[in-house]
Amino acid sequence: MKNHSMKRVIRFGGAVAFLGLASTASAIDGPQIIKENCLLCHSETGNAEAPFSRISQQRKTPEGWQTTINRMKSQRGLSLKPEHERVLIKYLADHQGLAPAETADLRYVLERQPNVVEQNVPEHVAGTCTGCHSSARSGLQRRTTDEWQKLIHFHMGQVPTIEYLAGHRDRPWFQIALNETAVKMGEGYPLQTQAWSDWKAKPKAALNGQWAVSGFVPDKGEFTAVMSVMPNQKDNYITLINGHYADGSKLTGSGSATVFTGYEWRGAIVIDGRKMRQVFAASEDGKQMAGRMYLKNDEVMGGRVLAEKADKAATLVSVTPSSIKQGASQTLIIAGANLSNKVSLGNGVKVEKVISQSADRLVVQVKADAKAAIGQRTLSVGKQTLENAVAVYDQVARVEITPTESIARIGGNGGPIPKRKSTYRAVGYAAGADGKPGTEDDLSLGYLPATWSLKAFDEVAEHDNDLKYAGSIDAKGIFTPGDAGLNPERKMSTNNVGNLAVVGTVKDGANSVSGEAHLLVTVQDFVKELIQ
Amino acid sequence: MHMYLHEEVLKQMKHLKSFNKKAKMLDAAVSQGDVEEVVAMQSVVGCTSVNDPGWEVDPFGGLGSLCQPMESDLYGCADACWWPAQVPDTMSSHPNWSQDVAKADEDWRKIDAIFPESE
Repeated sequence: MKNHSMKRVIRFGGAVAFLGLASTASAIDGPQIIKENCLLCHSETGNAEAPFSRISQQRKTPEGWQTTINRMKSQRGLSLKPEHERVLIKYLADHQGLAPAETADLRYVLERQPNVVEQNVPEHVAGTCTGCHSSARSGLQRRTTDEWQKLIHFHMGQVPTIEYLAGHRDRPWFQIALNETAVKMGEGYPLQTQAWSDWKAKPKAALNGQWAVSGFVPDKGEFTAVMSVMPNQKDNYITLINGHYADGSKLTGSGSATVFTGYEWRGAIVIDGRKMRQVFAASEDGKQMAGRMYLKNDEVMGGRVLAEKADKAATLVSVTPSSIKQGASQTLIIAGANLSNKVSLGNGVKVEKVISQSADRLVVQVKADAKAAIGQRTLSVGKQTLENAVAVYDQVARVEITPTESIARIGGNGGPIPKRKSTYRAVGYAAGADGKPGTEDDLSLGYLPATWSLKAFDEVAEHDNDLKYAGSIDAKGIFTPGDAGLNPERKMSTNNVGNLAVVGTVKDGANSVSGEAHLLVTVQDFVKELIQ
Repeated sequence: MHMYLHEEVLKQMKHLKSFNKKAKMLDAAVSQGDVEEVVAMQSVVGCTSVNDPGWEVDPFGGLGSLCQPMESDLYGCADACWWPAQVPDTMSSHPNWSQDVAKADEDWRKIDAIFPESE
């Protein structure tokens, strides 16, 4: 039997996601588990502030600690009972986690957001770590300088060819990594920070209660819901969700969640028969949660979720769509709970009728006057307001397809690795006051419905007939790549890879406006990681 | 031990380059600085930016300079830890990965990914 076959049993998330489904109550606590399982290699320091060698000199996210424990199991012979693993990860994430401010800019890797091109990668990280990892992977750890240096030594031992890789072999990579990069990491991402001391000292809000939710799933579209969160054990909740997709069909589900580090919400929920994961961050006051929800077995199929603590108070979360054309009638879906039905979008936009109202949403039909002033409007629902909620526009001047850079991976065809899809949305812009599209005063119209097509990205792709082999896109903007394996029809039996452009076209009255994104359909990823 | 590894690595590097003459030509044509700039623009999280050759994306943001079909050179990459975050390295971390599949281009359906170990 191949050694990894058992590892497939639970594909992603491990104890982090599954804490949501299982009790974390245990007779044994984190330090005791460390003492009983880790001291063959680690040692007790005698310092109560940092009691264990190596372990006490690091802080990580729940997924970061899960990754460490996975490595200890697969590479170092650690064997832990599942319930002890859950308790230990919870203990480490709670006592040696990251403060909200320390994760705020890098949450995309925790959320498994696809097709992210990282911005503002520190120079010393770009030359040292990003050949293999996201910049966020190191940015979501805090260590002493000595521990950052030990991480370099670990890589030299575990990946002996690391000095020979492109971008490494033409310079003294090891010396630079050890004496420059690790030192800068120790300065930029140190073990002790004010943000962490402050967060540790702060009382943490309980998250039980009624939440007004809005979100998006690529194959189902926008949705609104009320999520009831009931306390189970400490930092562990039962969840019930009820709501509607934009087309009016019902959404129902139930699950559970665990909160790590006082704000890291990890939920496992079954919605309409589909297993989903929630990776949210609660705000420091516990009144808002934001993050991503995705299909457990197809993580590309997910989208942003915004939740506002409602309980019995009137709560306004979002409105879709977020634009209305001059002279047009438009149905607006307003996500929120306990809302009045008195809706206003200012002068020149008239509420024609309230179509429906339920616990999770208010659906209204509005009409913009042909001469209604162009620009962003504040939405008022009773006393609740949402600024820059709906844009009144004259015409769609340009369309951007998001994500602009993307990959999909071939798969399936009888092999064990599924296809990795890619999904797209069209964002519209009006030209703004200067009448020129592509300038700073362009007016964002939010997501607009589009039709979808593909074309060869360049002459090479055209010559290699990539369009025929690499995959197809459906009416919802979901691209499904081609089959895995060698393709004898192609030159050199090339895989069904391809270099494509995704074209999204928005109808605007009699006009059509298109935008394009780049899609590389490429080969499988044979290493699945909790943090890429 | 180290000498052995280094020799193996050099053998693998030679092997990779012979598979990838096109990439070598392109490498020669474009200065390293230019290539790094292109790669920085094109790297999507999860893809390696080790690009001699690349795994998912070549140095120019396309596919033309990758080893294709990838099954033909898969084990050459795995042996050398060339992209250890994308292809399991059989030198160190995952020595038994695909040990039962001698010919990747014939039996690719038997090759699975390494998943995060869990309970």
